[in-house]
Amino acid sequence: MAKIDLSNISHSYNPNDPNPVYALNPFSMTWENGNRYAILGPSGCGKTTMLNIVSGLVRPSAGRILFDNKDVTDLKTEDRNIAQVFQFPVIYNTMTVYENLAFPLKCRDFSKSKTDERVNSVAETLNLKSFLNSPARKLTADQKQLISLGRGLVREDVAAVLMDEPLTVIDPDLKFRLRRNLKEINEQYKTTLVYVTHDQNEAMTFADNIIVMSEGEVVQTGSPKELFERPNTTFVGYFIGSPAMNLFESEVSSNDSVKINNNLIKTRTNLSNLKTKNIKLGIRSEFIKIAQNQNENLIDVNVEKVEDLGNYKLITAKMGNFTIKSKVTRETEIPNQNVKLHIPAEKCCVYEDNKLI
Amino acid sequence: MNKLYIFLKYFFIVVWTVFVVAPFLWALTTSFKDFQSVNGGVTYIPWVDFEPNLEGWKVLIKSPAKGGVDIIEPYFNSLFVTCTASLISIILGTLSAYALSRYTFKAGFVKNNDITFFFISQRIMPPIVLSIPFFLFLSSINLLDSLTGLIVVYIVLLMPIAVWIMVDFFNKVPREIDETALIDGCNPYQAFLKVVLPNSIPGLIVAGMFCIIFGWIDFFFAFILTFTEVQLLPVKIVALNSSVTPWWSLSASALVSVAPLIIVAFIVERYLSKGNLSGAIK
Repeated sequence: MAKIDLSNISHSYNPNDPNPVYALNPFSMTWENGNRYAILGPSGCGKTTMLNIVSGLVRPSAGRILFDNKDVTDLKTEDRNIAQVFQFPVIYNTMTVYENLAFPLKCRDFSKSKTDERVNSVAETLNLKSFLNSPARKLTADQKQLISLGRGLVREDVAAVLMDEPLTVIDPDLKFRLRRNLKEINEQYKTTLVYVTHDQNEAMTFADNIIVMSEGEVVQTGSPKELFERPNTTFVGYFIGSPAMNLFESEVSSNDSVKINNNLIKTRTNLSNLKTKNIKLGIRSEFIKIAQNQNENLIDVNVEKVEDLGNYKLITAKMGNFTIKSKVTRETEIPNQNVKLHIPAEKCCVYEDNKLI
Repeated sequence: MNKLYIFLKYFFIVVWTVFVVAPFLWALTTSFKDFQSVNGGVTYIPWVDFEPNLEGWKVLIKSPAKGGVDIIEPYFNSLFVTCTASLISIILGTLSAYALSRYTFKAGFVKNNDITFFFISQRIMPPIVLSIPFFLFLSSINLLDSLTGLIVVYIVLLMPIAVWIMVDFFNKVPREIDETALIDGCNPYQAFLKVVLPNSIPGLIVAGMFCIIFGWIDFFFAFILTFTEVQLLPVKIVALNSSVTPWWSLSASALVSVAPLIIVAFIVERYLSKGNLSGAIK
């Protein structure tokens, strides 16, 4: 339980090379005590490096790490009191499930009764109670991963529990329950949880703060709602949400409106100080609806296909060279090939050089 | 087709079994024969073909003064030298192998793999090349003809095997196990002793077996580096030979000398079939 400050951290795996390649570009960030964070990004974007820096397995090339304002950059992993769960199950084969779960407490000289109490409580949460005395190596892969997870959760006083895609090997049903359990544990014990994933749904449902990363860069940090409605960059807009954000190359036509394919779209953004011509308009397909009686921000499109995805319909339409996707309710009638869609001005995001204005 | 397959399978098993067991049977029956029964044509069944006696075995424990050869002392010498050298080789070899597997070493162009190869390259040389250096080395530190000297030489010979097997084994143990142990609060030494080592028992057994076998069967260095004070079993057994080859006592001593290896093999086999070795590493 600690506030974790990452200050000007950067990391390269070949720092002595004349042209070092940075796995992590300089960034600063604070993880408040007791919050749930998700680090989201495609494979190879530096997520795991970031976790390993916090846990001390990797020493950053530059920058400081502070736990509760105490500098721990040079502190060894074993002295940091941090928990980390890896993507694939890591268990101590020669021990029983109980011994596995008790190991972090044993290493730190907890009393027998305290150990018993903690192991039993964690085993209860993770459904491992009936296996406590079996050899850990005899369990299935997802049970093994539960043991890894359990070892992460067994200490109450850890600075943070870092999880590196911990639920990859677990089947969807149990995954859902475990995510809820993790949330409960976080609410009950106020443990800081950091969760690395490349699955946006996992990140959105789990965390109250999401850190989006791309190519060693922290692109945006914010609540799921902020990331969804106001993506900082076109990458975030593209990466988060399903389908991805609609992005249109556009021309500026006045202080607050752009032109796409000769349709005038009003926005709430001040467009008077632009430096480049590389302007894109971004809008979530959730906000595009079939026009009812609006008289501005309308576009004429050609419906290409309508997919019924259970709880909503996804319309894919063409407007010149642009493809537009719109999510509408199942009840919506799609009159014919040619429809008018309405783009609400307050939901429009304008990007200059792929960055939000 | 299926019947033919089963027939062939059992046929080859039987042939192979005869091939493996026959020498042992031959040695066993011969060890109970005397001069007459050995030289009087081929015979197999005791009491029918020949009259068994224990002379061949008695010679092995009789003192030389009474016409025996007394292999008891060389036997225990061999046991002591092999076990001590194997144990030390395994300990040193495991430690170096862990370091070679987990840390990066660099001296000019020499890197981890080159160091590992250097170890095993010691076994590529023919033993005869090493005999003179070893002889001079032991004589310079006054350890010729002593158990300690032999142990030193055997460590040099056995440790490369241990390093080679264990490097490969540790490379297959995921690094995350060490990292998890560190996160759980072990220091690097505890992580090695409490977590990595118990996970490596299968590798240790294999390495141990190889060390014991190579140590136990060595004749060459035991012959060159000892004279009168200390003798090892293989040397003593060869010394049994004389103008009239005593097949009976040679057979008895051969059986006695493979006995420890057979016991080791049985124990390891038991352990293997219990599944204790399989699935230890995910």
